Amino acid sequence: MAKIAIIDDDPDILDASSLVLTAKGYEVVTASNPDDGYKIVKENSPELIILDVMMNEPDDGFFLAQKFRKEKIKTPIIMYTSISKTTGMDFGKSDLVPVDEYVEKPISPDDLIEKVEKLLKREKEGKK
Amino acid sequence: METQPKAKVLIVDDEKGLRLGTKRLLESEGFEVDAAQNGAEGIAFGTSLDYDLAIIDLKMPDINGLEVLKQIHQNHPNTVCFIATAFPSFETATEATKLGAFNYIPKPFTPEELLSNLKQGYDRRILLQEAEKWKKEREESLLEVAFEKTRLNTIINSITDGILVINKYGQAVLFNPSALIFLQLPDIAIEEYIIDKLHPEIAELINKILTNKIFEKKSYSKQIELKSNRELFIEATSSPVPHPDGSLAGVVVVFKNITESKKLEHLKSQFVSMVSHELKAPIAAVYGYLKLLSDPAYNLPNDQKINYINRSQIRLDGLLKMVNDLLDISRMEMKVIQREIKDLNLAEAVTSVIELLQVEIKKKNITLEFQVIDQSNSIKADSDEILRLFTNLISNAIKYNKVGGRIDIKIQNADKYILTTIVDTGIGMKPEEKQKLFHEFFRAKNEHTKNISGTGLGLSIVKRIVDSYAGRIEVESEFEKGTSFKVYLPI
Repeated sequence: MAKIAIIDDDPDILDASSLVLTAKGYEVVTASNPDDGYKIVKENSPELIILDVMMNEPDDGFFLAQKFRKEKIKTPIIMYTSISKTTGMDFGKSDLVPVDEYVEKPISPDDLIEKVEKLLKREKEGKK
Repeated sequence: METQPKAKVLIVDDEKGLRLGTKRLLESEGFEVDAAQNGAEGIAFGTSLDYDLAIIDLKMPDINGLEVLKQIHQNHPNTVCFIATAFPSFETATEATKLGAFNYIPKPFTPEELLSNLKQGYDRRILLQEAEKWKKEREESLLEVAFEKTRLNTIINSITDGILVINKYGQAVLFNPSALIFLQLPDIAIEEYIIDKLHPEIAELINKILTNKIFEKKSYSKQIELKSNRELFIEATSSPVPHPDGSLAGVVVVFKNITESKKLEHLKSQFVSMVSHELKAPIAAVYGYLKLLSDPAYNLPNDQKINYINRSQIRLDGLLKMVNDLLDISRMEMKVIQREIKDLNLAEAVTSVIELLQVEIKKKNITLEFQVIDQSNSIKADSDEILRLFTNLISNAIKYNKVGGRIDIKIQNADKYILTTIVDTGIGMKPEEKQKLFHEFFRAKNEHTKNISGTGLGLSIVKRIVDSYAGRIEVESEFEKGTSFKVYLPI
């Protein structure tokens, strides 16, 4: 099964997300800040990255995603957001925010799994 | 002849008998009379005093009577002058009239002739004086109008809001210096066609009224960002200006600088999004756990279930605390906090906080030393607020301390303040973290803090309390070594 990296500074979100994904048989690596997140992606080369948009700074997640793309790490990224609706910040997919999917917190396990499977499937088909 | 006050008459005649005789006659009629015996004396009298009437002999040995008349009129144009002569001729009569003589009196004259002439002359004099008075008043009121106009201009030019008046042809007719700033124009020529030089959104505000043609009392406003990043934000309001006949004369546009309030608005919305994010984080965590607990598919072992329930509880406690902190902050912002200002012994307040936190202190095996250097340490304050202030600071000193660490608290007098110092041997802060310390929701996030719960509002509340007592708070910190807070509260 695929390896997934989760990067979020909320330990409870990390725990719950890990459990949901490991229950589905995925292998999960986690990090709680952008620096460690960068490290685990470099070391483990996961097939999917789940990234929280707001860690220390409101845009830490964006910067990390941009950093991955700059270094030609093309791993699909799901971004956890929590305030896109309340602030009217709705991000589309663009070079500025190089992520593939958004998941709005609180996260429903089914929704998360559906998006994870969809992206992994798309990657697989793309590579064929 | 009744004259009130006495009419002043000047007689200029070189013939002594006639001069004195006339003088006597006129004085007996109630005139006030001066007599000059030649032309030179006549000029000297007539130019120095504004006589009502003057009777001037035409032929005098030194200076001609017409010259005397000319000189007197140069200084006093309203002195009514008569030319008297024994040799009347058409030419001299014409010339005398040309020079402004009121009448020509042929010599010799009877007292009746003279008096009747003088009476007419005096009526003329009064008319002239009244005309002069009117003229003067008119000039004065004109001056006042002119003054009003410059005053109005000065006022308009002093207004910090920009003002631009445009006629119905789109030409500028009035503006003040502030308008130039908001319109970002170096200058405006009066009566130049201005609309195509204006920011398109301002031009649109004006055109909305101009295209209307008829006068309708209706204003249009728009907020316009002139320089991006909220550097210059204005509100432009256009209103129609009516003609006296009720038709449309033009448009007045007022520009108001609203940059500061826009900045505040932005800060507010940033705060709202921060609050939403912070409130949502624990909700998301608890939501996740509940989903896992309620879904039989995960089939969690019992101890994990209990762990998730406990952690949900902790997150909900944190959420509740945050909501309470937010309410406190909002009450402080609105200044509706009910304060009970009393004499308060700071040492006693700190002691009671330490007692309250004993359990946490013991749990981490922390050595706490409390020193009261000056015994007189009373301040006037609300005890709830002061307890809150020190609870936040001391519980931080415990929370961010290492196991077996130290906390040193000292109370002493410092000029007009009582200084409380709280020093811990905790995880400390990096300089960049120290800067943001008192910001709402700021929490230093690193490997040392990830397991410490907090709302990110504690120190922001501390700062607000200290500020509200006109005190001050200072912080020194060294990363991984410890932090010291100095709280100055006025006596």
